[in-house]
Amino acid sequence: MIHPVDTVLSLVLLSVLFSFGSGQLPGLIKVLAFQGVVVSVVPLFIGHDPSAGGIAFTLATMMIRGIIIPLCIYLAIKKVAIRREVEPIIGFHASVLAGLLLIVAATFVSRKLNVPSVSGNTLLLPTSITLLVAGMFLLMARRNAIAMVLGYVMMENGIYLVGTTFSARAHHIVEFGILLDVLAGVMIMAVILQNIKQTFDDVDTARLRTLKE
Amino acid sequence: MVEIVFLAPLMTGAIAFFLPKEAGRLLLVLTGIAHLLLSVILWKLRPEPFFPDYFAITPEGLLSLIVISLLFFLISIYTTGYLEKADIRSEHIFTGSMLLFLSTMTMVTLSDHIMVMWIAIEATTLASAPLIYTHRSKASLEATWKYVLVCSVGIAMALLGSVLITLAMDVGKVDAPLSFSGLTGVAKELDPVWLKAAFVFILVGYGTKMGLTPMHTWLPDAHSEAPSPASALLSGVLLNCAYLGIFKTHKIMYAAGLGDFSGTILMIFGIMSVLAAATFILRQAEYKRLLAYSSIENMGIIAFGTGIGGMGVYGAILCLIHHSLIKSSLFLTSGNILLNYGSHLIENTGSLVRRMPRTFVAFFGGFVGISGFPPFGIFLGELFIITAAFRAGHYAWAGIFILSLCAVFAGFANHVMKISFADDAAGETVRMDEKASMFWPQYVLLLTSLLLCFWIPDTLYQAIFNAMSAIGGGF
Repeated sequence: MIHPVDTVLSLVLLSVLFSFGSGQLPGLIKVLAFQGVVVSVVPLFIGHDPSAGGIAFTLATMMIRGIIIPLCIYLAIKKVAIRREVEPIIGFHASVLAGLLLIVAATFVSRKLNVPSVSGNTLLLPTSITLLVAGMFLLMARRNAIAMVLGYVMMENGIYLVGTTFSARAHHIVEFGILLDVLAGVMIMAVILQNIKQTFDDVDTARLRTLKE
Repeated sequence: MVEIVFLAPLMTGAIAFFLPKEAGRLLLVLTGIAHLLLSVILWKLRPEPFFPDYFAITPEGLLSLIVISLLFFLISIYTTGYLEKADIRSEHIFTGSMLLFLSTMTMVTLSDHIMVMWIAIEATTLASAPLIYTHRSKASLEATWKYVLVCSVGIAMALLGSVLITLAMDVGKVDAPLSFSGLTGVAKELDPVWLKAAFVFILVGYGTKMGLTPMHTWLPDAHSEAPSPASALLSGVLLNCAYLGIFKTHKIMYAAGLGDFSGTILMIFGIMSVLAAATFILRQAEYKRLLAYSSIENMGIIAFGTGIGGMGVYGAILCLIHHSLIKSSLFLTSGNILLNYGSHLIENTGSLVRRMPRTFVAFFGGFVGISGFPPFGIFLGELFIITAAFRAGHYAWAGIFILSLCAVFAGFANHVMKISFADDAAGETVRMDEKASMFWPQYVLLLTSLLLCFWIPDTLYQAIFNAMSAIGGGF
């Protein structure tokens, strides 16, 4: 029988492919919100008995990862060039192909890795790796500053998925600290984005080239 | 008790955002004094923390803390003079961020939990971002963007590394608190493969923040665009904090018997940084970027020394302390030069010795110290590192190391001579006015460094020795 978590995770994998092929920023932000929600809910269904504190923490994480962070980026760019393309360095078709190869490679690699038992969720590790590398791919393959921030958040989602599912050691307070850091980071990036837009009249990072050597 | 040291500046920092100019400046200095007092008390009494799971007093942490405190106190005095002369639009944001920055860096030195360490180091990035954007220019915007993005992504790698440490615990079936001190005790039982992977990720992550090549790209931009007091803090203190994260992880590796593995990687990154800094220093056109690349060089030296082990570790810690003192004084001095000449470019300066003799003394003294002339501490540190490299049989490494140091010195000296003795670019010879609060802090920093070369207090020596013995340092 296929575990319901695996079904959701396969949707996350699809969303990665979609984000590689999409040129519209609002679509990308929605993908990110979806991933944020999934990533924060999955730990609740794996291994541990849900406690009241655990559920409250999950809800808080979901709020921040699924709603506040995407909303933050959305609001930052609302008045900015929102309908614009993401200015890819690597084309969309090539990106989707790279995404497919990435998923295959991630599945292959995670079979080889020696990790403690993950209660039958075969897709957990591949999804984490895919999210991580996909985030880095977006950071490198898109010149648009907003797409770069989205890549960073995707990477963080991947790390969070590795972290919470494979170890129940960290206390919620510590995890919450990490979450707050990420949130504050995204907010600061959003402020910088607005300033870049106002100063350079664009968010294409190719224009940020005055500082050298 | 321990936590008060970083909670106090956190509170005053939050208050400073709502204060008018003069009150903010006063609060900055007062917090500096209070923080220095608290750190000295911490050093003397070594009290227990409220949350022993998350915070602990370690010798390497105390060393960094006392350096941070002293530096911040002197920098805060300089800042009061600097803010009167410089044109900064939102001063309350600047002072508030300075204090928050101090608070987060203090938290780094005291944290013992691996994740809390990460939280604190990421928080230093966030607290210092507004400092770099103080001037609101295109260049400073670009520098801030690069800083926040490169450092956040880099530090995300360190988070992944920290998660991998928990994996190493799971695979090795270790049940211990997720703290540096707790893990050092049970390091032998951790899974070595995952531990190695964790170290690499943590080194790349915190190495980004420390300015190791090739992850250093943000550093020259951020240091040159930030106002000089902030640059002094970034270079003198922030880089040490990142190093602390690497040092503590290296400690676990050493305890697990993997010290050779992590040491070799540290040596590779170290020598790459020194080499890269040498090439960029030789043809540098801006003096603040020159100092920034010199910081990269020194971080490389420190990583290299730590990697070699033995006497090299002692040399690395000496370099760490003296680099903080001397480089922050140099950055403060560069603020004087920038305010009076109004340009970042070396070619627009000149005749510093006649136009600003007091600043010149600090500038030249700092140059002599940082480029490794005897009797300054950097000289001793480098000597220890080179000796350790020869003793360990790393002849080729030592050769490259010495050559790069020579190249750095040649480049640095060339630029400093131009700034100090060449004719002024505008042909002016009038002496410019210098405020006492804007050169005394540099003098004190340099004199402290000089003093430490001849006389190291026993308690300080004990702390250095305890810190280095945990990663195999010794004579």
